[in-house]
Amino acid sequence: MHQTLMDLWFGFGVALQPHNLMWSVFGVLIGNLIGVLPGMGALTTISMLLPLTYVIAPVPAILMLAGIFYGSQYGGAIGAILLNLPSHPPHAVTCLDGYPMTKAGKGGTALGITMMCSFFAASVGIIVMIFMSPILVEIAFKFGPTEICSIMLLGLLAGATMSRGSPLKGVAMTVFGLFCGVVGTDVISGTARYTFDIPELADGLELGAIFMGLFGIADFLMTVNRNTVKISKAKLSMKDMRPSRAEMKEAFWPMVRGTAVGTLFGAMPGTGPTITTFIAYAIERKISKTPEKFGHGMIAGVASPEASSHSKTQVDFIPTMSLGIPGDAVMALILGALVIKGIQPGPQLITEHPDIFWGLIASFWIGNVLLVILNVPMIGVWVRLLRVPYKFLYPAALFFIAVGVYSTKSSLFDVGEVALFGIMGAIFLWLDFPIAPIALGFVLGPMLEENFRRAMLLSRGDLSVFIHRPISAWFIGACSLLILAQIYAYVRRVRIVPPMPDGAELVAE
Amino acid sequence: MAAPRRLQTDHVGGALLVVMGVAIVLLGLQYRMNTLVRMGSGFIPVVLGVIMTVVGIAVAALADREAGPSTQKGAIRTRHVALPEPPDLRGSLCILGGVAAFVLFGAYGGLVPATFASVFIAALGDRENTWKSAAALGGVMVVFGIAVFHYGLRVQLPLFGWSN
Repeated sequence: MHQTLMDLWFGFGVALQPHNLMWSVFGVLIGNLIGVLPGMGALTTISMLLPLTYVIAPVPAILMLAGIFYGSQYGGAIGAILLNLPSHPPHAVTCLDGYPMTKAGKGGTALGITMMCSFFAASVGIIVMIFMSPILVEIAFKFGPTEICSIMLLGLLAGATMSRGSPLKGVAMTVFGLFCGVVGTDVISGTARYTFDIPELADGLELGAIFMGLFGIADFLMTVNRNTVKISKAKLSMKDMRPSRAEMKEAFWPMVRGTAVGTLFGAMPGTGPTITTFIAYAIERKISKTPEKFGHGMIAGVASPEASSHSKTQVDFIPTMSLGIPGDAVMALILGALVIKGIQPGPQLITEHPDIFWGLIASFWIGNVLLVILNVPMIGVWVRLLRVPYKFLYPAALFFIAVGVYSTKSSLFDVGEVALFGIMGAIFLWLDFPIAPIALGFVLGPMLEENFRRAMLLSRGDLSVFIHRPISAWFIGACSLLILAQIYAYVRRVRIVPPMPDGAELVAE
Repeated sequence: MAAPRRLQTDHVGGALLVVMGVAIVLLGLQYRMNTLVRMGSGFIPVVLGVIMTVVGIAVAALADREAGPSTQKGAIRTRHVALPEPPDLRGSLCILGGVAAFVLFGAYGGLVPATFASVFIAALGDRENTWKSAAALGGVMVVFGIAVFHYGLRVQLPLFGWSN
């Protein structure tokens, strides 16, 4: 306990160093700026800005990435509430009650409530993270290749089946992602696999190219001339953002419940933020005395989902940083960025790179304070940004993507890769496949393969080792439960993942 | 009334998966397989290809059922039974053309032409853009690109000229 607080103090010291703080502020600001643009979800924003982090040292880079992340997340909420435009699926639920509030002239209040909830939820999530991580690390040290394999399997399976749409298609996309991770030189034997003798492919596919193709270009392809982006006429000032006392009271318990839901789900690898917000919303509607009012501007319908997504996000960093298992596509991206920086997340991370781990935690808090400070005066600017028409937005974004991918390795080949993955992503979206599992599969693929091969080497090819080792057996058990639940759901024809509300259908992931 | 049997999204999706899966297996067989104890480099990809093929068959096989009588009861609603509208052709070609233009002009021209060409071509994809507005946007992005990427972030692409 004492040690944890000392570590946290150290973390604040790292995060508050002027150099680090500057990048953190920059990340929050630019993440918020891009995230608020219509059609720019957290994933698109982060993958677009990822190359910016390559040029700076690991610690400020990861602080900046985290800043971009919650900046863009908050920016997405602004679009959802004011425009009914969920550029990031977790916000689809926020639209349901947030947009009616805007229509009723209460858009500012909704944004204020969102800010309050995200700050509260993130703080709770951070505290959970501070006290859970060291415990998890102790367990994680007992992890051998076998355990790592089974927990990755669980994460992948959960990511595949608990996302939007058909679970089978989710599995297919996960496998596709795993395959993308195979391309390149095999780390164990040195054989070049699926490179078609192209030298640029020997290092494998480029992370940034895949993400920007799938979540950037593919999205443009699906949206261009098909979008019905409305132009917001909402005018907001700082004064509108302060919720009244009664409204705060109304939001308080939903906020606490949402936070609890988010914390619970954050600890489970693979469950995406979208399902978390849906469940938070469903709970609110179920326990409300006036369920019929939901969808017509209930404060609880904004407070609870937003709180859940923010606490989930924070808690999600626990498996990502301490086990190296990302909870969703965004975490996978952050994990990938760490690996590029030469830092392998895992139980050793906290001891080997305490500056990154504790600095990151401290920067979360600083970042969330920054969000509040920035957004109150900037809200007028954001509202104006929401009016940038799509016809100007996507060509500019396309240029950023191209130059961003190029700058990673100064390679034009990688820019071509973006186009290729854009086409593939568009085909998958067109055929109603979820694309987020590809990202998860791609990042975890190489680790999964390496650990699986190592586990098999150690057990002399005996597959039953996965159920003979106790920790691994638990994960395999959870996997089987997941599969059984899906089969049950299929046979009984109930949906585990609630369907998307209209308007969110075209949005990628 | 059940709609006449048409090509459904999941039939196409399943077929695509099977094609990809089989291709992965066939290519993967060139690499060493070895045994489970000492897996060769081809082992994992072949397994992935097999899984993808099986899942593809399952997706296609279940396509009819999912869209079947349950839709009438409303218990489960698959959103796109028939193939959905494909992406806009002009927009798609221009977007991909924009990326291609960046690669081409990046290699034989430098940052300035690459920026202008990619933005200009991509912007023409939106039916609401005119030649003029696309060119204006391209011009703005050139100025911005020079300031931010050339002078700010020092991207290794010369403003004009051959990169290699």
